[in-house]
Amino acid sequence: MTERQGLDPITRNIIKNYLESAADTMAVTVVRTARSLVVRDNMDFSTAIFNAEGDQVAQGLTLPFHMGAMQPALAAVREYFVDDIKPGDIFANNDPYEGASHLPDIFLFKPIFVNELLMGWTCVIAHQTDIGGRVAGGNACDNTEIYQEGLRLPPLKLYEEGELNKAVWRIIEKNVRVPDKVLGDIMAQLSAIRQGEKEVLRLVADHGLENLKNYMTDIIDYTERLTRAEIEDLPNGTWEFTDYVDDDGFSDDPIAIKLKLTIEADEILLDFTGTSPQAKGSINPNFAFTKSACYAALKNLTSPTVSANAGFFRPIKVIAEPGSYVYPQHPAPVAARGLGGFRVAHTVFGAMAQALPDKVPAAWGGGEIGASYGGYIDGKAFVFLEFNNDGPRGGGPYADGPDGATAPVTNQSNTPIESIEADQPLRITRYEYVADSGGAGKFRGGLGVIREYELTADEATVQIRSDRHKFLPWGAQGGSPGSQTHSILNPATENRELPSKFMMDVKKGDVYRSVQAGAGGYGDPLEREPEAVLKDVLLEKVTVEGAREYGVVVMGDGTSIDAAATKELRDKIGRERGPLSLEPKVVRASEIR
Amino acid sequence: MAKFRAGVDIGGTFTDIVFLGADGRVLVRKVASTPSDYAKAVMEGLAQGIKDLGLSPQDIGEVGHGFTVATNAILEGKGERTALITTEGFRDVLELARIRTPRLYDLYYQKPPPLVERSLRFEVGERMTFQGEVLKPLDEASLEKVLDRIEASGVKSVAISLLHSYANPIHEERIAEAVKERLPDAILSVSSKLLPEMREYERTSTTVINAYVRPVVAKYLGDLSSELQKTGIRVPLTVMQSNGGLAPVESAIEKPIYCIESGPAAGVVGAYHLGKRLGIENVMTFDMGGTTAKASIIEDGEMLLAPEYEVGGGMSAGHRLLKGGGYILRVPSIDLAEVSSGGGSIAWVDKAGSLQSGPQSAGAVPGPVCYGRGGTEPTVTDANVTLGYLNPEHLLGGGFPLDADAARKALHDKVGIPLGMSDIEAANGVHLLVNSNMARALRAVSTERGRDPRRFTLVAFGGGGPIHAAGLAESLGITKIIIPPSPGVFSAFGLLFADLEHHFVQTHFKTFDQLDFDVANGILDRLREEGRSLLRAEGFDGSRQQVITQLDMKYVGQTSELTLAMPQTRFSLETLEEIGASYGVEHEKTYGYQAADPFQLVNIRVIARGLSEESRVPDRIVPIVAAAAPTSSEREVYFGQVGEWVKTPVVGRPSLKGHIDGPLVIEEYDSTTIVPPGWEASLDSSGDIALEKAG
Repeated sequence: MTERQGLDPITRNIIKNYLESAADTMAVTVVRTARSLVVRDNMDFSTAIFNAEGDQVAQGLTLPFHMGAMQPALAAVREYFVDDIKPGDIFANNDPYEGASHLPDIFLFKPIFVNELLMGWTCVIAHQTDIGGRVAGGNACDNTEIYQEGLRLPPLKLYEEGELNKAVWRIIEKNVRVPDKVLGDIMAQLSAIRQGEKEVLRLVADHGLENLKNYMTDIIDYTERLTRAEIEDLPNGTWEFTDYVDDDGFSDDPIAIKLKLTIEADEILLDFTGTSPQAKGSINPNFAFTKSACYAALKNLTSPTVSANAGFFRPIKVIAEPGSYVYPQHPAPVAARGLGGFRVAHTVFGAMAQALPDKVPAAWGGGEIGASYGGYIDGKAFVFLEFNNDGPRGGGPYADGPDGATAPVTNQSNTPIESIEADQPLRITRYEYVADSGGAGKFRGGLGVIREYELTADEATVQIRSDRHKFLPWGAQGGSPGSQTHSILNPATENRELPSKFMMDVKKGDVYRSVQAGAGGYGDPLEREPEAVLKDVLLEKVTVEGAREYGVVVMGDGTSIDAAATKELRDKIGRERGPLSLEPKVVRASEIR
Repeated sequence: MAKFRAGVDIGGTFTDIVFLGADGRVLVRKVASTPSDYAKAVMEGLAQGIKDLGLSPQDIGEVGHGFTVATNAILEGKGERTALITTEGFRDVLELARIRTPRLYDLYYQKPPPLVERSLRFEVGERMTFQGEVLKPLDEASLEKVLDRIEASGVKSVAISLLHSYANPIHEERIAEAVKERLPDAILSVSSKLLPEMREYERTSTTVINAYVRPVVAKYLGDLSSELQKTGIRVPLTVMQSNGGLAPVESAIEKPIYCIESGPAAGVVGAYHLGKRLGIENVMTFDMGGTTAKASIIEDGEMLLAPEYEVGGGMSAGHRLLKGGGYILRVPSIDLAEVSSGGGSIAWVDKAGSLQSGPQSAGAVPGPVCYGRGGTEPTVTDANVTLGYLNPEHLLGGGFPLDADAARKALHDKVGIPLGMSDIEAANGVHLLVNSNMARALRAVSTERGRDPRRFTLVAFGGGGPIHAAGLAESLGITKIIIPPSPGVFSAFGLLFADLEHHFVQTHFKTFDQLDFDVANGILDRLREEGRSLLRAEGFDGSRQQVITQLDMKYVGQTSELTLAMPQTRFSLETLEEIGASYGVEHEKTYGYQAADPFQLVNIRVIARGLSEESRVPDRIVPIVAAAAPTSSEREVYFGQVGEWVKTPVVGRPSLKGHIDGPLVIEEYDSTTIVPPGWEASLDSSGDIALEKAG
């Protein structure tokens, strides 16, 4: 592929800078004007700008997971409306079976026209706090068909030539439990896509319509060349990896995600053939989201200067069998598809950890915990939704995994405790690291986090989506896996262990404790500097007992190392365990200790 | 009699000192900074200037100071070992921060180490609700145990930050008392006193930063004050705060959080007063140095404040979205956007054959290739020399020759050859590309906030600002630019123009229908009285006190507040109506719509300002120039929009007469202004260069 004629690379970069910063401007607008905790504080949304043909030109600095999710949703809009796309129209889509992700993610698209000529699109996707359906929060794991999951908006016009489609607006208003939050967030989305349009029109004024259109396409071609050059630097070969989802909340059967990853010259093929069939419960990632998760994972392995646009997707092919877990067929439920997407990304990382053993860290932990509370106070609905989600990060080739930090495929924020308590009938009673949760290694995995929620309203329905209760975040290069996820009801009294996915009614004073899985370790734990282990002990991040997994014996005073005993213990462990397997491998929690 | 005031601005490489006479005469001294003991360079520069001006130390009437000691202590981890006391179950709030990472797609990201390590973060049993009710009384036994451990640790600085303490401070107050009893020498930082504002991480981080830098700042400012005294400069030392006001040294020592990163603020304050003098209401500032470019706006004659910023938060564009790289400090500060582009930014060619600029910088050492100090990678400055924008013989009055041939060769080898471009196309490309990076900072303060940049006059300063100003203005549609006198040390002027200022805040989280007027008015009275009594103590009588009240407001459920001026002195039904109306207008201006939702009051803010008797800004600034201004001449300069070399007149600032059409180069001691074709330049009566887009 060569440069287009008549375009110069410097103007191209200037326009690219401008469009990417315009997408950032859109994102800032969303954060500042959104109403819900999940959008404004958790920051579960993304912004992007597309060319006239519906190819993504720029994404705002938002969620990596959304990078590849917007283009298929726009494709479905364009396919349905064909020529019926007019100035002033604004399109909505949340239908997983027409290119979107899951029902709570409402995509809004605004076509940009210059003199009646379509020249591009702006898009904002935002995760709505509620979308109706049988369970508040729109993330229930125990749906069995899409019809239970809430309001479905196939590609449609929210605005027609500048006029609000009041019917659609009222249907949304009456189908969601917290219309002020949902419609408020939609207003924020509308502000942002309009803001983005203004920015693009300003570029038209500067560069001329034809010129700008050419450059928008050229930016994508350039990114494709850059991506191919990056892939060429990777080793050629085929690597296989299987990671697991604990279960679908109905049966105990694990779900295997099987991947064969092939790098050849400047292309990557991801083949999910052999993956388990689609699940009964709603943790299925639809195929568009599966692909998006693959892109987000691979983006971490190329230079950060590569832009997040359609050019990045082109050299990457993803194939899967229709009807398999990563390619569910209608009417399979997908509400909690985020969980499956995370595991798809883990699978890609597991294969890449073999291709690039000295570059790729061990698995991040977390456990994909999504917590929602719904109920009524004096007849008014409340819905709380947050993702105490993915992170901590795995140990890597150079350093420990950062404790509690978000996973590399997402970048959500936590929600301020004081904001939650001022906004919701909840009290957070604990929020801290879990000692010994990081997998041991030369570089240890990050620590998981405990978070406890106490209900202050009379009653509510709590619905939890989580995973990694059974299959642990894997270690790499001989590192140990991270610890498992736990869900516990009323730890101070009944201390009941709950399954990974459940829905139940709770009463005032009930406490739900969520314990994140820790991340995997990297490298042989016996090679970790004893001083580094001692430092963790002093910081109470590793216990004296936990230090023994590194073969380190801490003196009775808890502040110094018993060097002789440490040597002896390390020798003994080294002798007894046999040769250390360097390949990443998923193990069950039940196989450990 | 005091004839001169001195502004002292410490930077990483240079300490800039400006002596400003009441008649507008100005002497500039630039001395190398002395990081091992910053006061040394300050005293040296002051002594030099006093001598050159033929003054005695008693003639210095005031010293205004911008310093980086606190920032450096944080970035280098050299602050005071600190303990934190917090609510049981929440000792990791500080270290968890907001869990987001400041960089996407970076597998090796590491969090900044917490300023208080985990073993020095202690928990006490207690709990408040967000409405300030005591849910669980303070457990004195747990407090005793914590005090034992702090005593054993030998820590001297103690931060206290409990959940919801903004709503009810009694537990924090009791703990503070207990710490004082047990450890009389401990230095205390209490969150409900420093920042009674909702959001536990931000409040805790701010309190901890205060505790961490207080001893360091106290020592530095204490030493500097006594050095000044010894020399015979017996005048108040004032310190620039990040909100743009000055603080007396005592209050800077007690609440150093207000004075972290005071340097960048000073430049904006300078531009603010410049705008006032010229009657320009809407100003966009552009400050370009060696490694970063910064932008801010002054709108309707007011500087814009951001509610928080991150110390060491990295400087990537789009930083507003990618927080977490630094230490959050929740104090009002001048809203600056910063990108890591400057004269030292390195140009390189990526794998797909595209030109990139930065973020790597050649810094001051080795610096650009043309400095001849061992730099081998072509930089923005090298491009500017190659394009003829910089005179190789004229920098710092000729005291700093540049190697133009080396610059050109580096561009040829590292950019021209790989891209198949001529050297000059390569240089022009680097220049344009860095402009587009810096434009992100300007857009961050304008379009990202819903402001149209075309309404603003660009005030450009810093070493590189006047070279790039016209090109940047053009890309944003800005048609008027001001280059103030001595642009290279402009920030130091801001230190002399600013007023003394104190900021106070109290969270009062109420929807309008929950608001009890007596309670709210009580808070108003208390904050205002705190401000007035401080100002009284500093010698400002009633007529010289300006007290401003602001409200942070949002629609119920929104995340970020907008700050509004309080329309009346008291809360009443009518006041609420006015507040609601003006919130709607402000919201529409910023986000494009008004909502019908109820209003939420979040914070009450009071700013108390001490006004001087006479104007702090002279009508005209006249540099006392040691060397003669360059005689008019001409040279070949390349202008990208023309696409060729143009024989361009070169003049000194004082010899700029009438309106002169570009192309034109204006050279002076510390900077060069480029006037491209299509722009015209003139000098106003105050000594500012005005550039206007022709037609």
